[in-house]
Amino acid sequence: MVVLVIALALIFDFTNGFHDTANAMATPIATGALKPKTAVALAAVLNLVGAFLSTEVAKTISGGLIHTEGDGAVAITPAMILAGLIGAILWNLITWLLGLPSSSSHALFGGLIGAAIVGAWSLDPIDGGVLVSKILIPAILAPLLAGVVSYLATKIAFGITKKRQRDSFKVGQVFTSSLVSLAHGTNDAQKTMGVITLTLIAAGLQPVDSGPQFWVIVACAVAIAAGTYSGGWRIIKTLGKDITDGIEPAQGFAAEASTTATILASSHLGFALSTTQVASGSVIGTGIGRKGASVRWKTAGRIGLGWLITIPASGAIAAFMALIARALWWGVILDAVIAAVAILAIYLLSRRGSVTAKHFHQPQPTAFVRPKKRRKKKKSRSRR
Amino acid sequence: MIDWMAFVTVALASLIAAGLLVTVFSLALRVGDGKGAVRRWGAVALFGLCVFIVLAGIFLIVPALHKPVGL
Repeated sequence: MVVLVIALALIFDFTNGFHDTANAMATPIATGALKPKTAVALAAVLNLVGAFLSTEVAKTISGGLIHTEGDGAVAITPAMILAGLIGAILWNLITWLLGLPSSSSHALFGGLIGAAIVGAWSLDPIDGGVLVSKILIPAILAPLLAGVVSYLATKIAFGITKKRQRDSFKVGQVFTSSLVSLAHGTNDAQKTMGVITLTLIAAGLQPVDSGPQFWVIVACAVAIAAGTYSGGWRIIKTLGKDITDGIEPAQGFAAEASTTATILASSHLGFALSTTQVASGSVIGTGIGRKGASVRWKTAGRIGLGWLITIPASGAIAAFMALIARALWWGVILDAVIAAVAILAIYLLSRRGSVTAKHFHQPQPTAFVRPKKRRKKKKSRSRR
Repeated sequence: MIDWMAFVTVALASLIAAGLLVTVFSLALRVGDGKGAVRRWGAVALFGLCVFIVLAGIFLIVPALHKPVGL
């Protein structure tokens, strides 16, 4: 049982990695600042490093959403964690199949909520107020704030620089996107470490209130890095190419600077925002900010809808799994089998019309003969 | 229920930090485009400022660095 939970937690970590590669690397890939493979390799290394840098376990994985003490409390059992993880993994894979950037943390919260509701047979263990103030409101504010910041940053970048100077923003992009990746590694690997540590403590294999063991840290770091390296190309395509067309290096730099600034501010000043939602908001903001660029609001709307149903959807899957585990004594095994079959099915489905690194082929500018216009009309140097 | 003050703080901090980084980097590109020692050293100084901002970012990301200071 414990082994099963750990295995599933690591699978979740893997899906978390490849789901979130896009947050940092969609824009540098879209502008050609980094080659697709280089970008995901860089992201993977930074996630690996990030996972080791911070080993502070989030003690309440559920973030206060689920009452574990007091009225309407429910004890979190390994079976519930298992059901929650299955819900989160499957929802991550479904959204990946659809190319939707959705929050992996929300998927995990949703899964645990669903499992807790079944575990308690009532809605009592769920703190509705926390749900609204920690998840729903931030889900609206995060893209809004990131969008505004990114819009202004784009305006600044385009206002100060001239057109021929803007290619150098690519160099800056490498650094800003690296910061996003590093921040991701320090945050997201922690969640899985927390889940595994919680399970080990619940199973009595580790003293209460102790930190994650070294092999847990290593396993989580490797799982998230491997996931990142495998690259969620579908989501990278959505974020980098589908929301707004033809992202320029200056836009990419502005968007990433906004993402980094917003995430760092939120994690240090106490208003938690989802990385995925911030990154998506930044891309939309930069799309509005550049003259001549358009935002495909239909795609943006689909993403927003995905965010709204993330918690209920992964919660529903997890609740169903928890129900099976509760009803049958071999339900846990059935859960694992269902999960394995579903993962395989989604993988097979994804083979039809797959999106890979090859879809991001950037023609090298130097490969083309550039018409030498500049020398002839020196005075009327184009400003934009 | 919603900590609006915290949100406003986060919003302002993000705006200032992102705006600053983009402004400095853009200025560096603008100043660095051309000839002359003044332009060159100006650009170097501005890029240096960018490096400093990025280092500040790393400082905030890595707990081992900012925890001792109490941030």
